Amino acid sequence: MNHVDIDIAALVDDRLDQGVFRVDKRVYFDPALFELEIKRLFENNWVFLCHESQIAKPGDYFTTHAGRHPVAVVRQPDATIRAFLNVCSHRGSVLLPFRQGKLDGGINCRFHGWAFGMDGKCQGITLERAGGYPGGAADKQHFDLDSFAAVENYRGFIFGSLNKPPIDLRSYLGPASTFIDLFADQAPEGMEVLRGSSTYVCRHNWKMQVENVPDGYHVPTVHRVFGTTMTHREQRPGYEGMLRTETGRIVGGVKTGCYDLDHGHMLLWADRASPEAAPIYPASERIERDLPPAMARWMLKRGRNLNVFPNLVLNDLASTHMRTHRPLAPDLTEVTVWCLAPIGEPDDARYARLRKFEDFFLVTGMATSDDLVSLNIVHEGAMATQRQWIDFQRGIGTVRNGPDEEAMELGIQPLTSNTSWTHETPYHGLYRYWLRALTENRGGQK
Amino acid sequence: MRVADVSIALEQEVRRLLAWEAYCLDRKLWDDWLALFSDDAEYWAPAWATEEEVTSDPGRELSLIYLRGKGGIEDRIFRIRARDSLASVPLDRTAHVLTEPVITKVEAHQVEAGCSWITHVYSQRGIATLGGYTDYLFHRDPDGLKISRKRVVLIDDRLDLPVDVYHL
Repeated sequence: MNHVDIDIAALVDDRLDQGVFRVDKRVYFDPALFELEIKRLFENNWVFLCHESQIAKPGDYFTTHAGRHPVAVVRQPDATIRAFLNVCSHRGSVLLPFRQGKLDGGINCRFHGWAFGMDGKCQGITLERAGGYPGGAADKQHFDLDSFAAVENYRGFIFGSLNKPPIDLRSYLGPASTFIDLFADQAPEGMEVLRGSSTYVCRHNWKMQVENVPDGYHVPTVHRVFGTTMTHREQRPGYEGMLRTETGRIVGGVKTGCYDLDHGHMLLWADRASPEAAPIYPASERIERDLPPAMARWMLKRGRNLNVFPNLVLNDLASTHMRTHRPLAPDLTEVTVWCLAPIGEPDDARYARLRKFEDFFLVTGMATSDDLVSLNIVHEGAMATQRQWIDFQRGIGTVRNGPDEEAMELGIQPLTSNTSWTHETPYHGLYRYWLRALTENRGGQK
Repeated sequence: MRVADVSIALEQEVRRLLAWEAYCLDRKLWDDWLALFSDDAEYWAPAWATEEEVTSDPGRELSLIYLRGKGGIEDRIFRIRARDSLASVPLDRTAHVLTEPVITKVEAHQVEAGCSWITHVYSQRGIATLGGYTDYLFHRDPDGLKISRKRVVLIDDRLDLPVDVYHL
């Protein structure tokens, strides 16, 4: 079943007791490894599909991908959520042409007109009687759309596994679920994805998108120019209160840290130098009243960047964003980003949230554009295999197993904690899980 | 909406201004470009909300770029000039090609006009052709027409490269 010629286990040199953790650069560009990742991590594992606000009402649908498979996620008349392949069971054409929309009773294939219910069941075959099917009629059940083996909604975030997942979603998310709660609990009515999104194609391996999530180390260099631009801007009036940029993190001097949350999930955190500049600030009183003190403190006083492996990023730093990436080829990754905001947010907070989002988190903005190029040049350099290994050494001297004080406060159990967001120890967990997922024998899995 | 009945002189003035804007952007004459905007100018590139519609409310919905006031536009140039942005060092080469502008409305001190455009982009990171259409609101002040609103609809909805104000 494993058709990769290279010895996958040898790609991760995990000798932490000797101060070594390094990854062979081939993990970024080997085509056979890439195929195995698609199968193991994206088609036989939990993947993020969409947010519940994107399919709020019965009949609403959202289309996405699980690995190479086009997927439709549909809110059913009974409010449950189903996911099935967005591919006709007849000749395989993609069914729904829009990213998002509302079904008019069901789905009609645009090629030969076959009809499917909202639940994906085959309901009608065009010219069936004249079709000369064996026995005079088609076996409609055989032509039901291919359903996901599992779909779960965790606090508004919809995950699915096309084939049988290795473990249940709650166990898979583990301590990462608490950090999802820190998004979901920001408003009593929950969170919503705002209208409008941005999609861009990166010329780098999808794992570089993953690695960038807990990488605070690049912030003072790659985003230095963002900091100086904001400092320049804020000499003018009109950028007070929530419109002020929190440059404290960029210039340093705030407490930071990072966690390995198991299963490839990772978190970076940084105290907010100016919590009053965050768009959530006006809701402080309610949050401090309604939530446990540790949750409120983490939500209001600490910026967070969460990677839910393999394809969800939830970022609550200057603004709040939800991002997903889709591997297209070893060196090509498609990223889509949305602004996630508290439902019923006041206009001034929403305005500040949007402006901060646009200033930073878009490839048409002033920071993510720099991230995109930095990761592209990392991929370009990864081809230089004369130097075979990428060393993840930073933080080996300070890493500790289990929770630090901040994690204990939250009552969570990360596999490891570390004392700075510039540390690389979360990658140890990332590549340990990656190796396990790619090599272990998972009975019954494709 | 219809084409406004305007004088040849006004048409020529708008055409010159838009051609000059493209000239400044391609040749990176940043100060000349900034001088085209009024102090209270709004620069807005809405995001795509669906396959067929862009967002319409920058206060509640996402935009690709939303800059309020000339200062906001200057910030983008400040960042480019800092020579510290990975996406802007080296700068992309651009060539703007514009359609003939259409003037849609003329009032006492204001003119509304629009044009479509293509920008060919060459960068170390690849080659791209961006396309779109832009609506302008001009305000007449003693020095001539100033841009008081620029609304850019970038039709490309899956970007291959970082896009900055000089690409649009």
